[in-house]
Amino acid sequence: MKILKKTGQQILTSNLLGLFIVMIVMTVVFTVLHPGYLTAKNLLNILTAASLSGLIAIGESYLIISGQIDLSPGAVAAFAGVLSGLLAQRGVPFLLIVPITLCVGALFGTVNAFQVNVLKIQPFIASLAIMSIARGLAYIMCDGKPVFISQEAYIKVGITRIFGVPLPVIILIAAFLVFGVVLAKTRFGRNVYATGGNAAAARLAGIRIHQVKFKLFVISACLASLGGIILASRMNTGQPSAGQNVDFDAITASVLGGIAMTGGTGSLSGTFLGVLILQGFNNGLLLLNISTFWQDVARGLLMMFALTFDYFRKKKREI
Amino acid sequence: MKHELEFKEISKNFAGVPALQHISFSVSEGEVLALVGENGAGKSTLLKILNGDYQPSEGSYLLDGEERHFVSPNEAISAGIGLIYQERQMFDELSVAENIYVGRLPEKRKVVDRRELNRRAAEIIAEFGLPIKPETKVKELSVAMQQMVEIMKVYSRNPRVIAFDEPTACLSDKEAEVLFALIGRLKKKGLIIIYVSHRMNEIFRLADKIVVLKDGCFVAMHDKKDTDENSLVNQMVGRPIGSMFADQMVRERRKETALWVEGLSGKAFSDISFALRKGEILGFFGLVGAGRTELMRAVFGADPITAGTIEVHGIRQNIDSEQKAIRLGIAYCSEDRKNEGIIPLCSVKENMSLVILKKLCSGMFIRGKKEQSFAKENVEKFRVRTSSIDKKIYQLSGGNQQKVLLARWLAMDPEILILDEPTKGIDVGAKSEIYRMIHEVAAQGVAVIVVSSELPEVIGLSDRIYVMRNGRIAGEVDRKEAQEERILRYAMLEEMEG
Repeated sequence: MKILKKTGQQILTSNLLGLFIVMIVMTVVFTVLHPGYLTAKNLLNILTAASLSGLIAIGESYLIISGQIDLSPGAVAAFAGVLSGLLAQRGVPFLLIVPITLCVGALFGTVNAFQVNVLKIQPFIASLAIMSIARGLAYIMCDGKPVFISQEAYIKVGITRIFGVPLPVIILIAAFLVFGVVLAKTRFGRNVYATGGNAAAARLAGIRIHQVKFKLFVISACLASLGGIILASRMNTGQPSAGQNVDFDAITASVLGGIAMTGGTGSLSGTFLGVLILQGFNNGLLLLNISTFWQDVARGLLMMFALTFDYFRKKKREI
Repeated sequence: MKHELEFKEISKNFAGVPALQHISFSVSEGEVLALVGENGAGKSTLLKILNGDYQPSEGSYLLDGEERHFVSPNEAISAGIGLIYQERQMFDELSVAENIYVGRLPEKRKVVDRRELNRRAAEIIAEFGLPIKPETKVKELSVAMQQMVEIMKVYSRNPRVIAFDEPTACLSDKEAEVLFALIGRLKKKGLIIIYVSHRMNEIFRLADKIVVLKDGCFVAMHDKKDTDENSLVNQMVGRPIGSMFADQMVRERRKETALWVEGLSGKAFSDISFALRKGEILGFFGLVGAGRTELMRAVFGADPITAGTIEVHGIRQNIDSEQKAIRLGIAYCSEDRKNEGIIPLCSVKENMSLVILKKLCSGMFIRGKKEQSFAKENVEKFRVRTSSIDKKIYQLSGGNQQKVLLARWLAMDPEILILDEPTKGIDVGAKSEIYRMIHEVAAQGVAVIVVSSELPEVIGLSDRIYVMRNGRIAGEVDRKEAQEERILRYAMLEEMEG
């Protein structure tokens, strides 16, 4: 009972309730317009489609809370998809492909952190450079052509279902749970908040803020690489053009979920709801056969909506 | 007709919580009215109503007998209300003249007329009698002069009322003198002046009338001559606080040296040597910019040193990071509470446990209950006034924030505690509590350094005082011979021999 009351309070204070309402309204509207929207099958479709942007949103949320941002994960995911596809074509066993791809992907995060920590470059610009490099390398590696994957173990990731739930969805939810707990309950998580809330104070309190940022950029790159592998597996192809808008989606989902662009506050449960709203929205537009060009407009509007939310939350804090 | 400003039954609620209740008083031209009260008494809220930042929930305010409702600071400015904020709001990269006339630059064919601008600015500067040039960039000025520019900006709009919100918080005593002279001049010109400060000596020097607020209520209005420091303080806190400084400490000054610094040089200080014993309170006095903060940051490993050695408990140490300093038992509580102290969006609990979080963990996980009881204990021990340990720290008053920060550092059981301006901008009640805490930890054998720009504080607290000037130690004064005048001479005047 006590726990119930406490969670109730947390929902109210963390704006999650507002997100629930947005989600319900959206679901009702789409269901009225298209009866196929609110079905178990479509829900799983939404979650499956969210597997890449969701994983990236985790890393992005961590970074934004710590006062950073990363624009490169979409490109890193494409890079990882191509690289792992090429490895699969050359007969490298899947159990080796995953760690190799994650390690190579982590290098991008390392370079990001190096630019931010040592060269003192704004993370926005630093990761923009990495975005271009990763994307370019992805095209170079495969000569611009999609890499078809026929390795059985690799393809299985995308199609395996456990109790009817696709493996990518399970991985996504597991990742949210693990990283959610790490953020809320561990010393590392607390250091992320402190670094984003007031870096100078955190440093004086003995927190190695460079180390925190380094870890976060590496985590972001690794999650992006994992997402890239999963995407390639679902498509049977490593696409150098994959993940074009996912960084954008991940940032929108984070802000929508209550993570302030100024850092220092927010939670992963909010981000999860943000991801659901965003994908649910995209999915609804698809079902209604709305042109993809309009989807871009809608995506931008959603981002504006999220930032407006952020603005009012910030205002509320200041009063 | 005489200009007059009158508050009538002003009340202000925030989400139903009263911040001000039925405040009424008036002040007329050529008068300085001082507004005093503890932090949270409602002084800032009242100022924000004055300048149109907030609208009163009830009541009205009258300027020259006419009721005014300002919906924004801009409207208040054009009606002749000027507010000098605690934090300066300057454009560092722009010149003095540009800052004074920002938003109202004189133009000639749509291009800024620089000559006219500088001429006008020079007039005001001359009127104020200040040694600065209109073309100088603001960032090149001292803090005090920057504040003068702020005042000139307000003054150039021909205001009828100027309100100062703790203007001396960042000024050294000498710089404050310049400000006081200026306020005297503004008063003679017939302006209405409202002055908010925690410093009693200033208030008695400047004010004609004194209004005391407590918990959002009007307590009393005095003529200066009818009251004194003690009774004002009593009215502010509602209880006699006796001597601010704990009675002559019954502390033994131990022999062991905790910290030994020799020939230390770094950014903004050079060739500093001093020793700090266990259980001793060492004061560091100096004007703003004397290099005290830089020195302490270097001792704490936050800034690099270029020469010299540091010994902790007799062992030479190379303190190259904050982590190293903390491991050696050194705590450093920064002077800049807002930018280097609190993590604003974290809770009281999270702010308190920051330094010793590792001790509250098993493995990588924070033990929630343990952290909670740690925070509850310390909120009680340090008398932090907060409704909950989960309240975000930015919602607390400055004094209570400072107590949380003290708790943060004392939680690590430091052997050497460095406090940089520990009572800057906080109210009398919290001040005396912080003094008491400092004495307590010193009595337990902790070696304490207190950096302060407030002379009575340094003299009241310290066993010995080092005076810094221009990055060097200008003199050492023992408690017994500590006199304000002598210390000030070290801080400001020529090298004293012997």
